[in-house]
Amino acid sequence: MDWDLLHRAVTTIGKGVGTTLTLASVSLALGFCLGLGLAVMRISGNRLLSGFAEYYSAVFRGTPLLVQLFLFYYGLGQFDFVRENPILWWVIGGGMHCAIMALALNTAAYTSEILRGGLMSVPVGLIEAAKAAGMSRALRFRRIEFPLAIRQALPAYGNEMVLVIKGTSLASTITVLEITGYAKRLMSQTYAIFEVFTIAGIFYLLINAALIFAIRRIENRLTSPGR
Amino acid sequence: MKLKLLSFAAILACGLGPIAHAAEGELVIGTEGAYPPFSMADANGNVTGFDADVGNAVCAKLQLKCRFVVQAFDGLIPALNAKRFDIIISGMSITDERQKQIDFSRSYGEFPNHFIAKKDSELAGAKDLDTLKKDLGGMRVGVQAGTTHAAYVEKNLPDAQLMTYDTLDQMQIDLASGRLDTSFADVTAQNDFLAKPDGADFQLVDVVIDSSSDATLGTGLGIGIRKDEAELKERINQALCDLGADGSMKAASEKWFKMDISQTCK
Repeated sequence: MDWDLLHRAVTTIGKGVGTTLTLASVSLALGFCLGLGLAVMRISGNRLLSGFAEYYSAVFRGTPLLVQLFLFYYGLGQFDFVRENPILWWVIGGGMHCAIMALALNTAAYTSEILRGGLMSVPVGLIEAAKAAGMSRALRFRRIEFPLAIRQALPAYGNEMVLVIKGTSLASTITVLEITGYAKRLMSQTYAIFEVFTIAGIFYLLINAALIFAIRRIENRLTSPGR
Repeated sequence: MKLKLLSFAAILACGLGPIAHAAEGELVIGTEGAYPPFSMADANGNVTGFDADVGNAVCAKLQLKCRFVVQAFDGLIPALNAKRFDIIISGMSITDERQKQIDFSRSYGEFPNHFIAKKDSELAGAKDLDTLKKDLGGMRVGVQAGTTHAAYVEKNLPDAQLMTYDTLDQMQIDLASGRLDTSFADVTAQNDFLAKPDGADFQLVDVVIDSSSDATLGTGLGIGIRKDEAELKERINQALCDLGADGSMKAASEKWFKMDISQTCK
């Protein structure tokens, strides 16, 4: 066992943890908002809105994240109008921004499906009771439908969060130096593939273990003690 | 019945997976396949380029049949040690770091390396290495992952923002789109870009950086061979000497690079 190498691997790859967490948290936050919007569109009853949400989800869930990433980063980057538009170029131009966008758009599709399931599981009786009590549509959504839907959807959404954490590793293919990016760089310097990627794997495992633990805690708190 | 068929198919698929072992009389060559004009693989997996010519010539001398396996550059050495192929011919320079992992044949060629820059930029006007290094501080410098160029920039330009790419194509796209200020590669790879429409606004920075500038750049191109294959190495060295002596190396070099980069045995 080469301790110097292990030490070097931990410190080098550790430098990428912050970037991995930023990628995951920002894209999850954006993706959740988008996904919630899409889920509401999906169950809205408006055929145009629900049709759009359905196609969106089919496209983003039906293509690999790596393909989406390459399309946005290398594909869109080739067009002049994208390069000359400062806002578009702010999003597409940097590897980090582009990776966040691709991850957010991708997770939004999955999140919308998860939340739609949650929203549909809210018993009709509860909604009718809220209506009878004179609650407005917005209030009903905020107080009744959304909290119940989240409780229902949390286990599946926790799963999706773990997938996003793992998905961030693809950002290394568009020059972002996160955990995998540093690991690849160290691999080509040392050729100690086994050690380097074991350490990288352990970092992901620790992040996901912490995440799963946190979600369990929230799940337990949301479950009413009476049941 | 369906399940049975499915599991049968799965077992078959496992058994017929990539078989890396060389058949009798075959030499399996690992190459990148995306590094023109050294090594270009087409959609059918046929490899052409300088590396392919060198490989085929060596195979002919050794009276073996060549088979090329395409693999990303930074994975070539690990894959060689995992016996996925017998040798590497992929424009690979002989460096100390790599020699810890694998053996190399004698050098069969050597190239100068260059930065490239936008024609009107300050960088393009740099005339000596010290000015160039100063100008590069803070700039976004593209290199290919696992190359000597990456090692050179990392060691000698700590202030530059290093961006690593899996393939040359990806780096060239980012040069064209303005995500990179410059890139560092050998002169043939850079000329390949300059010859494309995207490269029209770029030029070579007129500072030659060769293996005498820094040890990270290695000592010429070599064929990678596993450490326990002394006999194969001996035969390949002999083949390379013969190819140098009969002029086939020079011919291949001039065919692909329009110049003679070959090195002959003294």
